[in-house]
Amino acid sequence: MSTNPNVQSIGRGGTAALMPTLEGLLRKRLIVCVGCGGVGKTTTAAALALAGARHARRTAVITVDPARRLKDALGLEGLSVEPHRVSLEAGAYFDALALDTKRAFDALVQRFAPSAQAAERILANRLYQELSSELAGSAEYMAMEKLHELVHRHRYQLVIVDTPPSAHARDLLAAPNRLVNLLASRAVSLLQAPASLLAGASTAGRLTLSALLKALQRWTGFDLLRDLADFVSSFEHMIEGFSLRAEEVNRMLHAPTTAFVLVTTPEPHTVETTIEFHRELTSAGFAVAGIIANRVLAFPRLSDAEGATLAWEEPVRSKLLRNYAELHELSRRDRRALRHLHAETHAPLLAAVPAVSEAPTSMHGLERFAQLLMPL
Amino acid sequence: MGAARLIFVTGKGGVGKTTVAAALAQHAAELGQRVLVIETASDGSLAQLFGHRKLSTAPQRLQAGVEAVHVDARQLVEEYFSRLLRFRWLSDRLLSSNTFNALTAAAPGVTEFLLLEKMLGWIEPGLMGRRRGYDMVIVDGPATGHAVKLLATPRRLAAMVAGGPIGKTARRLLALLADHQRTQVVLVSLPEEMAVRETIETQQALAVDLALHVARPIINRVFPRHFRAAEAERIEHDTSVPDGPVRAAARFAIACRREAERHIAHMRRALGVSPVLLRQLFAAEVHAGDLRVIGRTLGRVLLA
Repeated sequence: MSTNPNVQSIGRGGTAALMPTLEGLLRKRLIVCVGCGGVGKTTTAAALALAGARHARRTAVITVDPARRLKDALGLEGLSVEPHRVSLEAGAYFDALALDTKRAFDALVQRFAPSAQAAERILANRLYQELSSELAGSAEYMAMEKLHELVHRHRYQLVIVDTPPSAHARDLLAAPNRLVNLLASRAVSLLQAPASLLAGASTAGRLTLSALLKALQRWTGFDLLRDLADFVSSFEHMIEGFSLRAEEVNRMLHAPTTAFVLVTTPEPHTVETTIEFHRELTSAGFAVAGIIANRVLAFPRLSDAEGATLAWEEPVRSKLLRNYAELHELSRRDRRALRHLHAETHAPLLAAVPAVSEAPTSMHGLERFAQLLMPL
Repeated sequence: MGAARLIFVTGKGGVGKTTVAAALAQHAAELGQRVLVIETASDGSLAQLFGHRKLSTAPQRLQAGVEAVHVDARQLVEEYFSRLLRFRWLSDRLLSSNTFNALTAAAPGVTEFLLLEKMLGWIEPGLMGRRRGYDMVIVDGPATGHAVKLLATPRRLAAMVAGGPIGKTARRLLALLADHQRTQVVLVSLPEEMAVRETIETQQALAVDLALHVARPIINRVFPRHFRAAEAERIEHDTSVPDGPVRAAARFAIACRREAERHIAHMRRALGVSPVLLRQLFAAEVHAGDLRVIGRTLGRVLLA
């Protein structure tokens, strides 16, 4: 693996002074990594966990990414829903977990259901089976739920959450409330008695609705309404438990010991999404500690002397200069993107991790990455 | 009144699907074809590539021979149920309820079907069409996971819904997708581990499980190979020449290229075909000239 040699030059861009904030971050109790897919969020979360462990904090990192990227990065086979210890040198370690959304949801149902039979009935419901994996935000909900358990039961000093790649930060944030709102809404009563939708409607209206319901039934291939009504009534008894949990999770996310970190790359499309994330997070009252930018190229303009004294013969010399010019062009693009990001968000750049030719897929790679993220 | 060819472009988020779709469209238009590009994302990057601001939900002309349109799944769902329910007050009430959202979420395939049905209207405009239809429809598709779901929908529906207009449309879609002469799926990837892995999995899901025609995969943003093997060897190891930023940059580029080649080779082995390589662009924006070069490369492979 070859690293970008110009780590120092990033400091020239004015971020060096902000670096200590990253250490401040590790003194938080909960770090939530947010960002779009493919920006190295999972790797960043794992590297932060590694840094936490090095700072003698009892640390856990939790990922809900089904692509099992953390698993790759850690070179682990056994990464599971239970904490899995990752040992570092000198007795240091952190715990890593991968979240299986479906299984976690099932566990939650079992915990809050009034009886074993009630739980059984919900778990066997076909609609539940679709919803628990499909309902928008359920993965997010489960991430929040699991971390609540981690913080409270396992006594970690630092928990880092790698969130699933959401299209919008609001999907993540609204998650604890969404299910509860859905179940508690008036829509529920409507489902239990679909005819109420048509109170006062004409015969023609009634016929169209029943046609619609039949059509929907055909789509799903099962008695959607009966299952839905069944699902809703089974869930009714659990709403209180869910609401309470959702409130606690919400409180935890708003606590001063919690920090949100936006992970991004300088890629223009990604930067725009990150700006949108930032807007959503701050307007919902969450504390964004800053931004970590991955895969940043930093090849500054070559001084005349550096160009002139290049001790290579032609044609290598020309090729070298051309290659440098290209990378410098990309570096300028990256810097412009990060300036734009800062102008739009005013969020501190916690770290600009230089691009490496290869994404970390081993423990060794992860350590290199952590070193780039936070030089010791 | 012939039906159009369909090229469906997909890949992981941020790999350059839109650039590929746009370059292909431009190239086909230069060959005298009438092309429609269907945008499924809403970031407006397609319009920008042609110097326009935003697309609308009705086809608009971007340049000679190239039209583009934006489709919005949510809007299609609302339109569909409004039509079905006929009464405005009733559909308003239904569409604004959580229940409805839960129902459409729980009835997978509704949004996918409506999206495909809309596309079919442009691909096979029917015999009633007053004007000449498109020769080629290029879909700037959603990211891989969703794209696989979308392309699997007709088969699932055709098996589930025997008769009626839905069943009929599903079978028309199935016939269109199964026709390897007319339809091909283009997978765009990057020379990176995760992206390559996803492309291999998607190729399996589409070509094997769904029996679709999947074109040679495209790998975007491949670093150029500036140095011969002997030169690279010296740049990396020759201790008689002093180090400096220029040499370090060359080492970085060489390592990137080597890494890229490793992933390209992996894909070639896994899929048994050589991917089409598109080089990394260095300018701040994609210029018309770049688009033309990419279009020609892609055209040789996909439009032959």
